[in-house]
Amino acid sequence: MSETVQPMTDSSTRTGQRPMISLQGVSKTYPKQSKPAVAELSLDVPEGAIVMLIGPSGCGKTTTLKMMNRLIEPSSGRILLDGDDVTDVNGDQLRRRIGYVIQQVGLFPHLTIADNVAVVPKMLGWDKARVTRRVDELLRLVGMEPGDFRDRYPRQLSGGQQQRVGVARGLAADPPVMLMDEPFGAIDPITRERLQEEFLEVQRQVAKTICFVTHDLSEAVKLGDRIAVFGPGGRLAQYDTPDEVLTNPADEFVAEFVGSGAAVRRLSLLELSRLELEEVVISSGGAPTNRHPVLAVNDAGRPERWLHLPGSGDPPPLVVVPLSGTVYDAVDVMLDGRAPLVVVVDDDGQPRGALRWDALVGDLRTKGRLP
Amino acid sequence: MGSYLRYLSENSQTLLFYAQQHFLVVGYSIAIATAISLALALVLHTNQLTPPSWSKRFRISSQEGALLLASAALTIPSLALFGLLQPMLGLGVTPSIVALTLYAIYPVLRNTVAGLSSVDSAVLEAARGVGMGPVRRMWRVQLPLAWPVIVSGIRVAVLITISIAVVAAIINGPGLGKPLQDGLARLGAVDSFNEVITGTLGCLAVAAVYEVLFLIIQRFTTPRGIRV
Repeated sequence: MSETVQPMTDSSTRTGQRPMISLQGVSKTYPKQSKPAVAELSLDVPEGAIVMLIGPSGCGKTTTLKMMNRLIEPSSGRILLDGDDVTDVNGDQLRRRIGYVIQQVGLFPHLTIADNVAVVPKMLGWDKARVTRRVDELLRLVGMEPGDFRDRYPRQLSGGQQQRVGVARGLAADPPVMLMDEPFGAIDPITRERLQEEFLEVQRQVAKTICFVTHDLSEAVKLGDRIAVFGPGGRLAQYDTPDEVLTNPADEFVAEFVGSGAAVRRLSLLELSRLELEEVVISSGGAPTNRHPVLAVNDAGRPERWLHLPGSGDPPPLVVVPLSGTVYDAVDVMLDGRAPLVVVVDDDGQPRGALRWDALVGDLRTKGRLP
Repeated sequence: MGSYLRYLSENSQTLLFYAQQHFLVVGYSIAIATAISLALALVLHTNQLTPPSWSKRFRISSQEGALLLASAALTIPSLALFGLLQPMLGLGVTPSIVALTLYAIYPVLRNTVAGLSSVDSAVLEAARGVGMGPVRRMWRVQLPLAWPVIVSGIRVAVLITISIAVVAAIINGPGLGKPLQDGLARLGAVDSFNEVITGTLGCLAVAAVYEVLFLIIQRFTTPRGIRV
């Protein structure tokens, strides 16, 4: 059972295409500065999507995020939230409808965990029973047993636990939109990895529209449905899916920012099921063809060994990767088994095709930097 | 020793009265000073009262200016201040309280300013981010978090005023200054030394009562989450 308050959305129309947040020609110039921090930015965040704002420091990504809930007032342009122009509405009222999570967490040290989570619902005037129910539900959602944590104080919690509470506080009034400013930036790598997994799991359950500032490209690729790459001077250099940003950087700047390792990162985005695999001939000892590799299978139809590989003398060692894996997994087993090609098998272990090292280099070339 | 106890028991009513006066005059002054300092600090924390041209010329903010004035007040010799106030406010309780208030402002103001600005900026950003307005931020977040620092400022102010209040006797002010000064004026005469000792010990006793009081106040007004 979950509390839902939806002052602005009708859940039946979650198409994923409608922009939930829409920035229209938004600029921000700080006082006494000649250059704008964000210049003429237009950006649509589709409903239910995770959009990652990324770029070098000083590129205006945090400024952009803070203009969405008007912690920073834009110098010009319009901000639309679910179709409503919120450029001029009361900022405090607006912020109660938008979840906000920051890197330093900023839990109120004098309030218990439960009171911290309950801040916004209480301001919105929820009755006590409803607040308590919601707090327990949220603590459970972020993996903290309410009985253990409800009455503790922030300083009694580890950094990772504090940020879970921070996320719970952001979600408290069930806002349709969450803004997150490097929420996992100050957390050790191992905990960060776990929090990212949990974050995706939570998002699967709550399906919020999320804007997420990060400076970590791996994080952006891992979490984002879309990535907005900011360039110097508050310019939006590219706004696209992670795959596109890594494969086809819009310009020199993005290419350089995505930089070395982009190709490798992209491997983990590319599922084997989306590839055109090389045909494999299943043979029980017939004459080898010259065009396709020949595979011997056992009685159950599972691959046993290579019989013949066109263009090479001895058949190579056999390595196998499941179809549900990514190209990254395929490369991993190939490197590990010192094999020039890998058999891709489906859930039943039946061979579906092969992926060659050569094809990999040919197909996935982006900037010609494959290890 | 025996003669001192005899002096105490013979004059217990009067001495207790002086101690009570002392306690109250300090209490009133501190209450007024705290009210002024809190109001001033809250206003100055979010506003510049002086026009920008001033702040620029003197290179100080209104807040720093207020602190400077308050610290200047604290450095006026107490004997002189009571004398200076006398033509305007006459003798007795009123000028005493005014003078003591002036002395008490600086420690309270200083600590209130320090306490308010020591609140973690991340906490304040989070408070804004969840939609708390300036007033709610002050009452629900900043003031509770600054409170322990403010209370310790008040404690310092209490200790300062207890000793300065003794001087109020020169303008006929209330409190333990009376026996002390009487004793000093006729040192060598009967019971004169007893009076000096009593004035001094009386101040210590008043201070002790206040300390206990503040321990209790601090204990019950500091939010549990930030208690050390």
